[in-house]
Amino acid sequence: MNPLELTLGIMTAVGGFVDISELVFAAKAGSMFGYALIWVFFVATVGIMVFGEMSGRVAAVARQPVFNLMRHRLGLKLGLVTLFASLVSTLITCAAEIGGMGLILNYLTGLPYLVLAALSGLVLMASMWILPFKWIERTYGLLGLLMIVFAVSLVAIDPPWDRLAGGFVPQVPHGLSTKELLAFAYFTVAILSAVMFPYESYFYSSGGIEEQWGPKDLLTNRVTTTIGFGLGSLLAVSILASSAQLFGPANVGPEIPGSAALEAAIPFGPTGLLLALLGMLFAVAGAAVETCMANAYAIAQFFGWEWGRHKKPWEAPRFTIAWIALFLLALLIVMTGIEVMSLVEYAVLFSIVVLPLTYLPLMLLAGDKGFMREYANKWLAKGLGWLFFAVVTAAAIAAIPLYLLTSGGQG
Amino acid sequence: MLRLRILLPLLLLAGCSKGPGADLQYIKQARSLGAEWALVNEQANKGQVTKTYAASMHQWLRDNLQTTQSSLTQPDSRYGSEIHALLAQPDDAAPDELRSHVEVLKHIEDGLESA
Repeated sequence: MNPLELTLGIMTAVGGFVDISELVFAAKAGSMFGYALIWVFFVATVGIMVFGEMSGRVAAVARQPVFNLMRHRLGLKLGLVTLFASLVSTLITCAAEIGGMGLILNYLTGLPYLVLAALSGLVLMASMWILPFKWIERTYGLLGLLMIVFAVSLVAIDPPWDRLAGGFVPQVPHGLSTKELLAFAYFTVAILSAVMFPYESYFYSSGGIEEQWGPKDLLTNRVTTTIGFGLGSLLAVSILASSAQLFGPANVGPEIPGSAALEAAIPFGPTGLLLALLGMLFAVAGAAVETCMANAYAIAQFFGWEWGRHKKPWEAPRFTIAWIALFLLALLIVMTGIEVMSLVEYAVLFSIVVLPLTYLPLMLLAGDKGFMREYANKWLAKGLGWLFFAVVTAAAIAAIPLYLLTSGGQG
Repeated sequence: MLRLRILLPLLLLAGCSKGPGADLQYIKQARSLGAEWALVNEQANKGQVTKTYAASMHQWLRDNLQTTQSSLTQPDSRYGSEIHALLAQPDDAAPDELRSHVEVLKHIEDGLESA
């Protein structure tokens, strides 16, 4: 294991962890419920660690990407349903990320939002065409580390640390009305979905295959998913906690993604604001690339096409056309003028519905000794896998009714 | 089946109702947008944010407030007037002035929630 590679891998995972949905829901959750939803981030992060590790292990040992497995394990019909649902959810997520980039660039430059969103899309496509896989992932992941300014800002505003630590304990706040309880439940489901987005495991496992992982890389996989995702999640928790401290008491329930940047501006002025906006920009750009590629991977793997960014674009022509078409489609959605906040909500809703169908075949294969030999799931991975499968299934059933009953978390 | 019987009317109610109850979500949005506006102006006055950021935020906050206002089922209500008054403020309005409207909206919101 090369220590430099490992460090870079962890840093990339940290910088690439937060996306537009986590930004939005962390800030809103903190302002509405104080520290009471931190535990949901903690639980969901353990969930994505479990499934991320599994998908990386399957990629390294069985050399099978998630969507290839899905077709074999779920059968053609259910596989197609899952493919379609995940394409829709990931496409909406991609559109939300591109729209988010346009918004953040608008806060930075003041130029028209739609022009900036279109430019962002084109720059991302060019970077995907030019850069090799490893550098696509690393460029955005490492620049996304500027988001650390949110953690530093939290320390600077010195919140009540005992109350913040108490937020890691699963809880439902006392004295909430029925409407507030429903809103709390909606936020619980939305945060689970935002942290455990299905595209993350598609992208991560396909990336493992792109980088030709083998059993020797299993330790790297485990360390990256646990430490990298864990530290990345702390950034989201920092946003939530700063919001609880700064926004909640001021009656602000951030309705605009740019409000989160105020968390760094309040203690550090324009420098903090700039670092926060740039960190958000690169984190969201990384997520836009990941979502687009995850969709192209899904289609190519499902239909057995040649795929991979390690190949020249013309060596995998249908895969190349797929990611370009998907990017343009996401851009088209943004150009309709639909609000980014609405896209974020739809992305989270669609994704939670797809999650059980994504993780079940993965878990079955990771536990199959015929495929995985001595690397098959042991008792801990098996237990946690089933536990989180039950959690995401319950969340998937509750998501749409909760969205309607709370008007998208407004209570 | 029993759950469906309970859930369906609730979902229908959520989708079809009118009046202050139905407007509650917009009142909350407007209250929050007004408070965000006040916070942005407060930080701008202290020199903590760039002029470009403040100007962009003003534009988005105003757009969102206008959308919220146009979504109200009772625009002639007291909360409708407060949202209208908020929108009449200049971009660089004093934070305290904006917060006075936020307080009124919060009061209305709390009253509706406890009803």
